[in-house]
Amino acid sequence: MLTWGVVALLAVGVYGQRALGMAFVDPNRMGARSKQVLAMVPLSILCAVTALQTLSTGGELGFDARIAGITAAIILSWKRVPMFVVVVGAAAVTAAVRALL
Amino acid sequence: MHHVPRGTLLTNGEAWTIAFTYFTVAITVSLVHSTAGTPTWVIVAATLLVNSATATLAYAAVTAAGGTVPAGILAGWLTATRFGVLAAALAPRLWPRRWKRTIAAFSAFDPNVALANREENDHDARRVYVAMSLWLVLPWWVGACIGAVIGDFISDPRALGMDAMFPALFIAILRPQLTTNIARLIALSGAVVAVASVEILPGGLPFLIAALPALLALRGDGESS
Repeated sequence: MLTWGVVALLAVGVYGQRALGMAFVDPNRMGARSKQVLAMVPLSILCAVTALQTLSTGGELGFDARIAGITAAIILSWKRVPMFVVVVGAAAVTAAVRALL
Repeated sequence: MHHVPRGTLLTNGEAWTIAFTYFTVAITVSLVHSTAGTPTWVIVAATLLVNSATATLAYAAVTAAGGTVPAGILAGWLTATRFGVLAAALAPRLWPRRWKRTIAAFSAFDPNVALANREENDHDARRVYVAMSLWLVLPWWVGACIGAVIGDFISDPRALGMDAMFPALFIAILRPQLTTNIARLIALSGAVVAVASVEILPGGLPFLIAALPALLALRGDGESS
């Protein structure tokens, strides 16, 4: 759940990085290797978030209806359907499996 | 929003596709925050001020999974590192005056930077950057407000499967990035590290050490699928 304080801190941190890149860092002085690593940090973290949002609840691993929904999301996104359909499809499958169990 | 700048490589079709995508994603993201208990006005403020879906979603996901608030904020900041890198790549082609670039930095997203960079001369790059920033940010803000209001009317999010929306959204966001072997390896490693450590490490830490596989990028020089 977001709060006003969290929104303020996120806003400062995110805009700060955009402004640093756009106006205060000379791109020629930034090494190619640092750029490669920085470009991959979000991918790595967001995959961790995805895995734990699917396979854990409150810090404990467990399996429930979400597995079916996320499997559907993976199939749908590899079929290149629009993002909105992927998300609604995953929710629908999860809800259906949960209602049946 | 009637047309795109004349004489540039940008087409109407691309502009509408991006506007529609950000509009629907904004509705979805706001719904997810709303069902997680965030008040409507905080969602609207977060959309306008943070101006990044992945940063606010990462924070919400980390704290929902038992992480601490500082860990959630750190995870949100780390997901925004790509905006800094993208902005630095485009900056030399935009306005020479620093104050103009400082303002332009606020709307540095992935597609507007990429489309501006595609232009051959710097003058067109500036026009496309401004036009695409508007095509992207306006539908994004409107969609977020609509989603935040709709979310207030949903009483039992789990029965509607809405707890699967977060991870499904991330899969849809990340899928186009999995084009190289090294990206796939980093993605898989991030997930494995988090799952392996979630029951051992205290709240939030599994998300942060999951940033380490990004170092694998150093070994993937020039490799592609």
